[in-house]
Amino acid sequence: MSYDYLFKYIIIGDTGVGKSCLLLQFTDKRFQPVHDLTIGVEFGARMVTIDSRPIKLQIWDTAGQESFRSITRSYYRGAAGALLVYDITRRETFNHLASWLEDARQHANPNMSIMLIGNKSDLAHRRAVSKEEGEQFAKENGLLFLEASARTAQNVEEAFIKTAAKILQNIQEGVFDVSNESSGIKVGYGRPQGPSGARDGAVAQRGGCCG
Amino acid sequence: MVKKRVPEWLNSSLWSSSTSNEDDRRLSVAVQPPSSSTTTSQQSNNNNHNHNHIHTSKEAEVVVEAEAEAEAEAETEIETHAPAGPSAEDISRQAQLLSEISKKVVNMRELRRIASQGIPDTAGIRSTVWKLLLGYLPLDRSLWPSEMAKKRSQYKQFKDELLMNPDTEIIEQIDRDVKRTHPDMHFFSGDLPFAKSNQEALKNILIIFAKLNPGIRYVQGMNEILAPLFYVFRNDPDEEYAASAEADTFFCFVELLSGFRDHFCQQLDNSVVGIRSTITKLSQLLKEHDEELWRHLEVTTKVNPQFYAFRWITLLLTQEFNFADSLHIWDTLLSDLDGPLETLLRVCCAMLILIRRRLLAGDFTSNLKLLQNYPPTNISHLLYVANKLRVQSLG
Repeated sequence: MSYDYLFKYIIIGDTGVGKSCLLLQFTDKRFQPVHDLTIGVEFGARMVTIDSRPIKLQIWDTAGQESFRSITRSYYRGAAGALLVYDITRRETFNHLASWLEDARQHANPNMSIMLIGNKSDLAHRRAVSKEEGEQFAKENGLLFLEASARTAQNVEEAFIKTAAKILQNIQEGVFDVSNESSGIKVGYGRPQGPSGARDGAVAQRGGCCG
Repeated sequence: MVKKRVPEWLNSSLWSSSTSNEDDRRLSVAVQPPSSSTTTSQQSNNNNHNHNHIHTSKEAEVVVEAEAEAEAEAETEIETHAPAGPSAEDISRQAQLLSEISKKVVNMRELRRIASQGIPDTAGIRSTVWKLLLGYLPLDRSLWPSEMAKKRSQYKQFKDELLMNPDTEIIEQIDRDVKRTHPDMHFFSGDLPFAKSNQEALKNILIIFAKLNPGIRYVQGMNEILAPLFYVFRNDPDEEYAASAEADTFFCFVELLSGFRDHFCQQLDNSVVGIRSTITKLSQLLKEHDEELWRHLEVTTKVNPQFYAFRWITLLLTQEFNFADSLHIWDTLLSDLDGPLETLLRVCCAMLILIRRRLLAGDFTSNLKLLQNYPPTNISHLLYVANKLRVQSLG
């Protein structure tokens, strides 16, 4: 499949908040109530269209446990977007956000777009973190924010796509050097490089090696 | 991302009923196709033949290069090697193993040799053989009762002392992860009392291990390594052994992990004994045996082996195949003279070689997806190819 851009994402957050389930809902449109533990990283990919541009998302779903942090850190480099996930029914997963963010700031590209996701919005009756608190944290730290549910698929699509739209906006504003692979962005074949936002229409004929 | 296809017979209520008649149970296993197997062509006349003969005939049949080349026809390949119930070879191996573990003093070398071909999962043979291979049961049978009594009372003491003052954070995490262990198997999952008590046992073991090993504590994935041991020991037809499965599993888990614990230690991730170094060894092994495939994966498509081998290695292949197949692989890991780690790396390398055609035709995305969702494979054949890699290494 051809694409204009390829964006690399990383999904981070405490264990059990639903990272793998969000990915599965986004790539396969299904929900698995009890998901295997993620050991190391799992990989997913999907095409999306933003402003009528085909964009390939390459998503790295990471293990949440502290013991895997040294492995997870190596995936920050080269990510253009991050989904930082907590569980609205478990307060501690919200309390740990600052530490995840610090890790991201330290190891990721400074221009990485981060979407904060309060997952399990379908379990509102067990809510331990209010929506306002999530919004507030996102605002203070310059993050995008959505509450979502991997179970009902509510806002899952939006979370991935709004992050991509933000990255695209950054490209068009010239924030990224897209020729540098560590930006987590790859330009599709046939598309003129550079930060131009022009609709040049030169849509790639063939994807790159990752097509 | 559904990786595990559990065969129906594993979910059979016969397994979860403690009152089940042993003969029924044996029968229920016998009529189902277990993963262990040999070629059907050998079934007719190998009944009383010794193991060496079988091995030779197998060797003559295939060579690894031919296999690798024929990989595109993997489906046909699997057909010809397809398991078809317990074969004559299985039954003969069962008899050999039974006779070996009934000796006054078990000959470990002989036991390893027979067991490395796979252990028929009947009559509690695997349960006993794994305990011997892990050094938990002494070779001298006369010592079994006293040794087991000692160990089981020691475990009871651990439970009394260590489960008293709870460290809630770690207990909560272990609790959550145990509930995520084989959610597709009634043995481990669900609300039946049997599953609940099995979960409780896994939880106790992990908590006690974490307390006794403060440098490692609990790392996700330990539950996956624990599960096969507990499953095999808990299903031992000997009621006394089945009842002591928790204690027996604990000691065997400690023993098994002693060879792999550095993989679970974050401080050692980058050291010569840590997980990264083990993954590098796998990469070197592949380069040595199939440089073309190595180059395509790591240089051309830039699939870093860490992306897939991290899980393969830390979980000892328990998430890559269905449960019964994992047990079969473990028979070989535990019995091979080279030790579990070397054997594991050979099996991982064979996994790559077996699908080399598809990998060589694949790009980054398709290769990574394939390696993170390894296709169903005939395990006997996989182990056979892995074994050939050793023969090649020796020249």
